Amino acid sequence: MRHMKKKVFAAVLALAVPSVAAAYSYTVKSPFPGTVTATTYYSSGSFHGALDISSGRCNYWGVETGVMASLSWNVTIRTSGVYCNGTGSGTQNEAKHAFANGRTFRLWHFIKTSDSYDRTCNRCQVGNEGGTGNATGPHVHVQYDQSGSNLTGWYSGYTTKGEAVDRSETIGVIE
Amino acid sequence: MPRYLQGLRALGGLTLMFASPVVTAQSTPSTAKPALRGESCSVQGLMDQLRQGLGSSSKAYRDYLQAVLREAAVSLPSGELHAAFDRETDPAMVEQLAAALVARSEREAEKDAIQAVARRALEDRDPSVRAATVRAMRRTGALEKTGDMYERLMRDGSPEVRMEAAKNLVEDNAHVYSGYHGPATDTAVNAAAVSTDPKVTATILESLDTRRMGPEAGQKLLGMLGHESADVRRSAALALGSAPAAQMGPAREALVGMYRGERDVGVRKALVQSIAELGFADAVPELRKLRSMDPAMAPEIDAWIRALESGVQEWGLLLREKQRLQQVR
Repeated sequence: MRHMKKKVFAAVLALAVPSVAAAYSYTVKSPFPGTVTATTYYSSGSFHGALDISSGRCNYWGVETGVMASLSWNVTIRTSGVYCNGTGSGTQNEAKHAFANGRTFRLWHFIKTSDSYDRTCNRCQVGNEGGTGNATGPHVHVQYDQSGSNLTGWYSGYTTKGEAVDRSETIGVIE
Repeated sequence: MPRYLQGLRALGGLTLMFASPVVTAQSTPSTAKPALRGESCSVQGLMDQLRQGLGSSSKAYRDYLQAVLREAAVSLPSGELHAAFDRETDPAMVEQLAAALVARSEREAEKDAIQAVARRALEDRDPSVRAATVRAMRRTGALEKTGDMYERLMRDGSPEVRMEAAKNLVEDNAHVYSGYHGPATDTAVNAAAVSTDPKVTATILESLDTRRMGPEAGQKLLGMLGHESADVRRSAALALGSAPAAQMGPAREALVGMYRGERDVGVRKALVQSIAELGFADAVPELRKLRSMDPAMAPEIDAWIRALESGVQEWGLLLREKQRLQQVR
């Protein structure tokens, strides 16, 4: 019932005010067209606490930051070159925005391109879908965390594993 | 998207269509099905809809129309949008068109589109239009992309324009940069320093997070502690409370030194708050010394000392604890 209410609220929000969020909340759209392949738990049952989205194609789609707001993005390149199936833990390319409330929104695993640099923008491209870092295939890992803990409420009720998403699809709301 | 949500969206879309004055005016008798009419997404069409909709009593509907224009901005013909913006003189419409151009810039569909908005914010003859274009740049990366625009806006002849520019600096620093971007903080401090309007200066500084402020901006803030306006002194003192580690020593010395000569109670409270913020538990001995200088400030300083001695390590929680201690009788 609680999830149902959330979904109805999300739908109404998407209808009435697609980009006008409340004072401290931001709608998050999918960074590229694909499928949600993992949410809070992996198929193995271990905790993931984030969204994995994959189109199944490497270096094909540009990865956009997804958050519907002008924000300053810090892009960290740890791996240059086209990698689709992993380069080892801790070597993922990352785009992140640290919010004043101590929470951080992150996108991982993209391939470095000429768009991979720090800047202030609204849903801009920061790289291409790929598999840098700890990955077994091309995807983007979308994470919202605070003090080392991954938050899951921001996407719960907005998307589920297996859902096909495109760039107009709301995958969560962060606040 | 799950199918039932798609259904809800469609239902809501229909509701909005019927809520639109344009559609209701053309509705057919209830027995006949409404005829579907194709409509192209043009600048003029969106402007007509917006012009009519801005008069609606429904804020949700007005917000919806504004959001539609901003989202559509990326795919609208650039030339038409610029021409419409240049022609428009109604401040409310100018604000929406300027926001659409800013959206094109922020979405990187046309990076320089924001320059036309900045130019109008500085040069339009109508102060209401200048204020509207400044508002359109709020919560964006405008301060990085418009050179010395904010310093120039501080010298604008209209108090409304100056205040709108100040609000932009406050909101951009808080929500776009979250206090983590030094150049954004420096832009705000530099604008505050050139402002001759104490209210504007105070608005910019009183809630500014200066944790990434550069040394030159830090010097300017210290200089503003000697300003003739109590509002400016109070806000500069508050801004120094979050100064970066390298500037904490000089800031603390300046605040303590100033407390001895300051007569305004509001400024003294701000000085004590910032001394507490800079030192946390280490500020307690200094606060005890200041306590004996003015008996009227003793309850305030006592509340700070008790809050700091509670061992709370987050500034937001310390502020709340101090407030609680002052309320408890």
